[in-house]
Amino acid sequence: MPNPNDFAILFDASRCIGCKACQVACKQWNDLEAEKTENRGSYANPPRLTAHTWISMRYYEGLRPDGDPYFDFIRGSCMHCTHAPCVASCPTGAMAHREGGVVTVDEKTCIGCRFCVQACPYEAVHFDEAKGVVHKCTMCYDRISNGDQPACVKACPTDALTFGTYQEIRALAEERLRVLKERGYARANVYGLAELGGTHILYVLTEHPSQYDLPKAVREAEKRAATGWLSAGIAAAVLGAGLKFIVERREALKGGGQ
Amino acid sequence: MITVNFPNPIGEEHWGLWIVFYFFLAGATGGAYLLSVLFYGKDQGLVRRSALWAFLGVAVGAGLLVIDLGQPLRFLNLFLNGFHPASVMWLGSWFLVLAGAGLLWVYLRPTSRGVQQGVAVLVALVVGYTAVLLMQTAKPFWNASPLLPWLFLASAATAGGALLQLWYPHEKLSRLVTASALAEGAVLALHLIWTYPVATPGVLALLVGPLAWAFWGFVVVGWGLPLFLERRNVALAALLTLVGAFLLRYFVVMAGQV
Repeated sequence: MPNPNDFAILFDASRCIGCKACQVACKQWNDLEAEKTENRGSYANPPRLTAHTWISMRYYEGLRPDGDPYFDFIRGSCMHCTHAPCVASCPTGAMAHREGGVVTVDEKTCIGCRFCVQACPYEAVHFDEAKGVVHKCTMCYDRISNGDQPACVKACPTDALTFGTYQEIRALAEERLRVLKERGYARANVYGLAELGGTHILYVLTEHPSQYDLPKAVREAEKRAATGWLSAGIAAAVLGAGLKFIVERREALKGGGQ
Repeated sequence: MITVNFPNPIGEEHWGLWIVFYFFLAGATGGAYLLSVLFYGKDQGLVRRSALWAFLGVAVGAGLLVIDLGQPLRFLNLFLNGFHPASVMWLGSWFLVLAGAGLLWVYLRPTSRGVQQGVAVLVALVVGYTAVLLMQTAKPFWNASPLLPWLFLASAATAGGALLQLWYPHEKLSRLVTASALAEGAVLALHLIWTYPVATPGVLALLVGPLAWAFWGFVVVGWGLPLFLERRNVALAALLTLVGAFLLRYFVVMAGQV
């Protein structure tokens, strides 16, 4: 669970209009180069995060079983997990939690092994080929450590994004959930309370997380590694003993027959 | 900032051919050393020769890993930048260094069997950690089943046995290679069935998609044919088994990133 005084952001899907002001503000403040894009039949563009796109809106549209159309948006970006797989997997300590629970990468220490790229369940860390290191959302650490809001939050015209302490943001999320349930959003929920030790970005959703391609029940990287070591130990013992048994029993049988 | 980029044959962001070659070298030569210590401990000539091969495999493999980094000149950050036991890559880096030093020692000086067995434990860790490394990521084809260490260890035994057969065709080795190849095939089938529900795109890419050539190439040329040829043409069977060990690692690494 994040510290109550940590930095946190709330994304409220029921208030988002999908205008991408957050996406543009992030590019501008962090001086990220533009991506070459093309029409892929979805309003989402670029289709995924990259080393130069740290936040990108995803869009889901279609018809519900009862024939009603839906058009749902989700903010795709780093969730600043408390038990962050990128931090656990980093072999050099370049990816680490900073004061306030924010996860950033130290570009002068990063060796460019891309283990964090493989470890992140939100696909929020990406490799910059030109610089040979990885990049990701910093929650605008340069702004928030000087008392300002992150650029994406500042740019949001509908209060779908709110910045504050974890305590405030969590209370706000629970309040919004209560209001939405009252208004008849039966499937409304808060995402990020249980995931990876609690994330510093909370989402208020009107649909089940799977509707937005958000992973549920993500296992922490430490637990995945522990399972792996245990399995490897058993495998080595069983395979070693098994081969020894098969080969030497044959030899013993042969010896007995002679 | 110092930037030295070596071209990665398969995209910058993904783990590509350098990693596959490393997995293959460490698996095959490490497996050869493990089998020689486990089954031919009395034949010191064979143990020391396989120690040299495994040392070369580990050293060349480690070189490939460094080349694959985005910032190869910073590789020392792996060792000098603190203690990160939660990161399988950090542990693996130390296993590589310790196993390499141990193997060189076994090759250069007459050592007791206890020392050789201790080095064998380090080599087993090098062979096994590569699978645990993949399991620590967020990729379902790698982490949804605990069988990857079984697959890599069984394949290391098969490939290591094949490597020994090339200059030491011995009846016991044939039995070892056959038994471990059968175990390897069973584990691979079980892994595909186990991961299919959550890693469907990856498994389909192997069975009928863009990786089918590597998967079926392994099944037919690198696994089935050597089993058939084991009693007829040992040298050819051993060569094909080594090709199969490479294809296996290639398609496992690629299918996780589909």
